[in-house]
Amino acid sequence: MNSLTKASTLSSENISVWFGQRQVLSDVNLVFPANKVTALIGPSGCGKSTFIRTLNRMHELIPGAGLAGSVYLDGEDIYGEEFDAVSVRIKIGMVFQKPNPFPTMTIRDNILSGLRLSGRKIESADEVVETSLRRASIWNEVKDRLNDQAISLSGGQQQRLCIARSLAMNPQVLLMDEPCSALDPGSTRRIEETIKELSSSMTIVIVTHNMQQAQRVSDQTAFFLADDNTPGGVVEFGATEQIFNGPIDQRTNDYVNGHFG
Amino acid sequence: MSFAPRPSVQPWARVNKSRKSQIFLASVLPLTLSALIVFFTGLDQNLALVGVFLPLQLVAASLVGFLAFGRRGVGDSFLIVLVVFLSTFVLVLLVSVVASLVSQGAKAFSWTFLSQNNIYVSNTTSLDFGGVGHAVIGTLMIVGLTTIVTVPLGLAMAVYLTQSQSKTKGLVRTLTQAISGLPSVVAGLFIMSLALTLGWERSGLLGSMALLPLMLPTVARVAEEALRLVPVDLRYAALALGAPNYRAFFQVILPAAKSGLVTAILLGVARIIGETAPLLLTVPINNGTSWNIFSGNMMTLPAYIYGYLASVFEPSQNRAWGAALVLMILVALLFGATRLLSRSKSLKSKPTKQKASK
Repeated sequence: MNSLTKASTLSSENISVWFGQRQVLSDVNLVFPANKVTALIGPSGCGKSTFIRTLNRMHELIPGAGLAGSVYLDGEDIYGEEFDAVSVRIKIGMVFQKPNPFPTMTIRDNILSGLRLSGRKIESADEVVETSLRRASIWNEVKDRLNDQAISLSGGQQQRLCIARSLAMNPQVLLMDEPCSALDPGSTRRIEETIKELSSSMTIVIVTHNMQQAQRVSDQTAFFLADDNTPGGVVEFGATEQIFNGPIDQRTNDYVNGHFG
Repeated sequence: MSFAPRPSVQPWARVNKSRKSQIFLASVLPLTLSALIVFFTGLDQNLALVGVFLPLQLVAASLVGFLAFGRRGVGDSFLIVLVVFLSTFVLVLLVSVVASLVSQGAKAFSWTFLSQNNIYVSNTTSLDFGGVGHAVIGTLMIVGLTTIVTVPLGLAMAVYLTQSQSKTKGLVRTLTQAISGLPSVVAGLFIMSLALTLGWERSGLLGSMALLPLMLPTVARVAEEALRLVPVDLRYAALALGAPNYRAFFQVILPAAKSGLVTAILLGVARIIGETAPLLLTVPINNGTSWNIFSGNMMTLPAYIYGYLASVFEPSQNRAWGAALVLMILVALLFGATRLLSRSKSLKSKPTKQKASK
């Protein structure tokens, strides 16, 4: 694992988002320090997933999307002129809510797909495959069937395969959009362990609906909320310990203690 | 050790005795009654099938359905009778078309017929001489050229219609639909008048050009549907890995839509391979074998069938039937080969240990 790039600090400055004429996010200012895990929590429809998609420029793929503000990767604006969407996404990986391995490829090819898709040379493919699968803690389950179709795996395995697929790119930041929402407790636990191990080599942002999960895996937490017919925004942002045990805002307190949402 | 007798594997399929006899009566009575009516009144058989048998059968089935399940049983039985009746009807139609084609075409069908051309063959020449070899070559070449040109165009249109966010998409789609309603004879006339205006010689190439507007909409529309079926998740997954659009398309979306795209091409070929009018207008026919699609006369199977079918001489009529049979076999072979080709590739990479997948 000596060739890994080092983690980066990611930060958003006054991010506001529109879909058509409707504003769904307003002035989100967050800092995701290197090697830290940040959890984004909040009720459905408050803009967490929308926000996380602005961080690696997946947001702009949605027709009618609009954006104001900046996202900085180690001080450089990823929406600036020096960056293009493709090179941003190579540095900032993403794991989706629903496992989405490429159904026409084998497990092995899925791992290598990122390198192939971004047009990079593949040196020592076997090593990349093994390292990535090990880091996503799925190596032992699939090492004898690397040439099987990816969709022959179970849902939890597919999701860890997707994580491994992102890791093969050696991203500096890994974004995870509710990665465990479709998984059983066992798979969830393994993914959480994976997240903790990964944080030593990258910055992680994770959207989750599961309070316990946020407490287990994250160092800091941001609570998003959208009041009726107003754009969503961050209500409170701080150390996970503080958000869950001594929130300053009453709404945060209500949410983390299960009074609404 | 003794085992208890194995219970019925499909307990929901058990039917009690009185119901069985009801169903039996409901299936036999209408047929018997209609047969008797036809026998005694001399009613036309086909008329009796639709006018007497079908209503009787519907009533009988509805009655049994009512006795078994009450009102909801009536709807079910009614639908079942209609579906069985109509699908049998269609099946009979299809089988009789194929059967008559095979039985009539078999008279002419032989290796000689397949391999020889029609030079020195007159309307009354025996079937021992001459054949459709030249027409098969002509059809394959003309349809092949159209396919080679149309497939990239059609796929490109499908990609444009599914992947881009351009505003002219709706217009393009409407125009495509409009072209798909174009009568083939008009396509032929258009190319013919174009050729006359520009002073081009009629040839196989013009035939290919006339077939192009007929094949293009089919390929584009079916390919569009195939591409639309690929989940947008996969595209996002590819883009999130840092893929430029073209790589995401070629490495992820295209393979996922492969079998649908193959179907699109097949349907396109099926659409044009039997087209007669455009070819009659644009390709001068020929009795000899021609390998030159760009100039000179060329024979095609539809033109061959058209030419011989109207003849009053029996050998000629048999030739037409034989050519029709050859055309059908050709289509079947093309379809079979393509299906096999597109399947064997995915078979190779099938999981060795299969697990239940979602």
